[in-house]
Amino acid sequence: MEIYELTARETAEGIRTKKFSAEDAARCSLSRIAKFESEVNACVTVTEDLAIAAARALDGRIARGETLGPLAGVPYIAKDNFCTKGIRTTCSSKILENWVPTYNASAINFMNEAGAVLIAKSNLDEFAMGSSTENSIIGPTKNPRDLGRVPGGSSGGSAASVAAGYVPLALGSDTGGSVRQPAAFCGIQGMKPSYGEVSRFGIVAYASALDQVSPLARTVDDLALALSVIARPDPNDTTCDAYCRPDFTASLSLQDLKGKRIGVFAGFEAEQMDSELYDALTKAADICKSAGATVEPIDLPIAVKYGVATYYVTALADASSKLGCFDGIRYGTHIEGKTLADMYANTRTASFSEEVRRRIILGTCLLTEGFYQNYYGPALKVRTKMALEFDELFSRIDAYLLPTSPSMPYPLGTKETDPTRLYLGDIFTVPISLGGLPGINLCMGFTPESLPLSVQLVGPRYGDSDLLGIANIIERAVGRPDVATPRKLGEAK
Amino acid sequence: MADSKNSKRPIVIGLEVHIQLNTKTKLFCPCSTDYIGKTPNTNVCPVCLAVPGTLPILNDSAVALGARMGLGLHCAIQNYSNFHRKNYFYPDLSKAYQITQYGLTIAVGGYLDIESDGKPRRVRVHHLHLEEDAGKLVHPTVDGRLTGAAYSLVDYNRGGVPLSEIVSEPDMSSPAEARDYVVRLRQLARYLDVSDGEMESGSLRVDANISLSNADGSLGTRVEIKNMNSLKSLERALEYEIARQNKVLDSGGRIVQETRLWDDAEEVTRSMRNKETASDYRYYPEMDLAPIVITDEQIEGFKRAMPELPWEKRDRFMKDFGLSYEEVEILTEQKELARYYEDVVAAGAPPARAANWVRMEVLRVLNERGADISNFSLSPSILAELVKKVENKELSSTIAKDILDMLSQENISLEEAIKRSGASTVRLTGDLLGEVIDRICAANSDVVETIKTGQDKKGGKVKFLQGLVMKETRGQADPSEVSSLLSKKLEG
Repeated sequence: MEIYELTARETAEGIRTKKFSAEDAARCSLSRIAKFESEVNACVTVTEDLAIAAARALDGRIARGETLGPLAGVPYIAKDNFCTKGIRTTCSSKILENWVPTYNASAINFMNEAGAVLIAKSNLDEFAMGSSTENSIIGPTKNPRDLGRVPGGSSGGSAASVAAGYVPLALGSDTGGSVRQPAAFCGIQGMKPSYGEVSRFGIVAYASALDQVSPLARTVDDLALALSVIARPDPNDTTCDAYCRPDFTASLSLQDLKGKRIGVFAGFEAEQMDSELYDALTKAADICKSAGATVEPIDLPIAVKYGVATYYVTALADASSKLGCFDGIRYGTHIEGKTLADMYANTRTASFSEEVRRRIILGTCLLTEGFYQNYYGPALKVRTKMALEFDELFSRIDAYLLPTSPSMPYPLGTKETDPTRLYLGDIFTVPISLGGLPGINLCMGFTPESLPLSVQLVGPRYGDSDLLGIANIIERAVGRPDVATPRKLGEAK
Repeated sequence: MADSKNSKRPIVIGLEVHIQLNTKTKLFCPCSTDYIGKTPNTNVCPVCLAVPGTLPILNDSAVALGARMGLGLHCAIQNYSNFHRKNYFYPDLSKAYQITQYGLTIAVGGYLDIESDGKPRRVRVHHLHLEEDAGKLVHPTVDGRLTGAAYSLVDYNRGGVPLSEIVSEPDMSSPAEARDYVVRLRQLARYLDVSDGEMESGSLRVDANISLSNADGSLGTRVEIKNMNSLKSLERALEYEIARQNKVLDSGGRIVQETRLWDDAEEVTRSMRNKETASDYRYYPEMDLAPIVITDEQIEGFKRAMPELPWEKRDRFMKDFGLSYEEVEILTEQKELARYYEDVVAAGAPPARAANWVRMEVLRVLNERGADISNFSLSPSILAELVKKVENKELSSTIAKDILDMLSQENISLEEAIKRSGASTVRLTGDLLGEVIDRICAANSDVVETIKTGQDKKGGKVKFLQGLVMKETRGQADPSEVSSLLSKKLEG
């Protein structure tokens, strides 16, 4: 078995037991990138020299018999909206094209402390605004399962990297599905933890109220391992909870689902769903039933009906103010103007893509007097109603199954032009974000033509650990997704 | 300029006062608040420069100071409040939004009692909220103004410094009342160690809302005035604005709702922006900060830690020391002076005489030197000794004042100062004093004659002779004894 086929846990174990070195793992990762990157285009920056140096330093410490962190020598990739000290961080935007942060995001520091080795910064939809990773200064990332299709987004670069075996583990950020949906499209596992579990410090914000650092991997076990490393109190983020986290890997010893109550989304009449994904949901429910759980169909009327509208009103309002700091004065692209207003307009018009400008303008309108009362105000009320709906839901069940995406991965270039259609693809992920709930995308195997199937498993807020236990049982029945050899399938539908 | 006292229309004034909170670090980052005089953009960090990915961390001391000021203003401290983003683009605002409290603020519904023109008045306080300061633009022109500048520079050293904004109800009816309100507010802030309250350095900034009421008593259109950097400019700007508005209304015009800037050099207000061009700040809850939660126990703790407030001290001084309102107002204006006075009394000086000495002589000396009571070299116990000697008639007031001057200038002992003053503690009294008086009278027989023939109706000539005696005796005589001996001599 090649190193790139190993999980993060297996890689760390191999290095710890000296089956191979951290440098071997880093070089394997880099050669995998060298081999496929021209096709996949998942990385904005590959940090080869730094990675080799970090790996060698770890090997030296191993040779001296030092005790290292749980991810010692494990190569990982971080989405290019995580600030990395001395390493260019672009957010896939022209405005930050040459911006080099002077500090690390907390999650990056935590990964480094655990011994993980940063290999590259991955592609995203500019400022994490999108679901296909097509809207980027480096161009679109392609889905390694089928290079003719999108990898999902906005953490498409991270998802493609894990699927293509660049690394066993990657970090993304999930605001309204930006980790779960690309995990689904690329046929891997991805988890958005409860809001407040992981520090947001150093993540270039899209929407402060919703952004959450989220791991992607090929096993639930690796998600738990990563969460154990990154989920901890952080004095730099007061919205990150100060409580002491449980051991997220503890519940992985769960052997069956006896006594567990699982709800399955039942409100399909109104929704357009790809039938393969409906079947994947049924399959997941059957697995839970076989494992001893009681399974019942449950509708989620408010969350699904109003989720997308509420999400976009909330997130865009937030984003319109968070992106105000890009004024061309202190950092990033600066374009002169005859007046101050011209300078702002020139800089921001030339440096933000149409989609980002659309979202800033929409968000600005939503908060303008007169609009606020009609949009943002009601959105807050709906969010409260949704929270009540979720409270009621999780008073009855332990976990909830629903699709991650209503559609299978679609061909490149097909949805980019229709924002409304693109936004509707978030119908099953955004309610979970608005509820601050943990959600895991699980790969449910592949279609006969090798396209990945998926399902989303959701738990109550701060029920992350239990949720991982249930997800692990489903994964055990389905089998771990394999590493993709990037290729183009026959003419995409 | 027209006098606001002659305004035909009732004047309605409300003030928004920003005070810089006396914390060590900025409101949301570890940078120092001591920014004045620093090289531009050296008192900054990723947070206050709004570097992408950074998050604000609330400074608990600012919350405590805000609550303390709120309690001083008799406000209710809220258990739950939060921050909003006030969105607008300007180069001195790094995030393109100011983090400020809006709606749910830390303190609401208080008041401040002032005395203006001898009349008490209660000014209600709508609320107090916390917010961050912006940076500063520097224009490379001769007068530092934007007009004519080829470019502008921005300095973020001040960006993020904590402010509390105190919004009054429109309860003031003259420029003098507005000034007296600010003076009382500043005194309170200083008593509470919440702020140094210096207007000149910008630690205390005042924006005024002013309108003239209509004939039917309804409120007129409100105009906001900014950029008043001293108490004097506050009063002048309001006077100007009252005159301007009266003139507009007298000539049948209408007042436009707008923001006007006070020009201190030209002594006029100028329109800055009107309602149509007013900003819509698109307030949005600040999701990067957890809400401010202050428990009842914490509020009780803040209350217990409150020092004696200016008006409490004033009432106590009046009651305990038998002083008048006017005397006490002066003694308690600065808590340091009040403490000095109390120390003098505690060291044994009689309260009434000590009050006179502190109020008249100590303040005179400080004024002459432009000095501050906190670094006044004459200790309260020495002053008490001096006052006691005057009280016991060991020293005359005149000599004692000279001694006070000496002691406040040089580091010498009281004994040494007395010696140098030439005053002897040996009293010149009885027959010896009588001899001096005889001598003086003999040398000024014409004056004595004038008095004896009843031409000194106002007593000025007697005082003249008295002064000569005092001078001659170099303070060794007791003025009252001089006075009684002299009257006897003149009657005789």
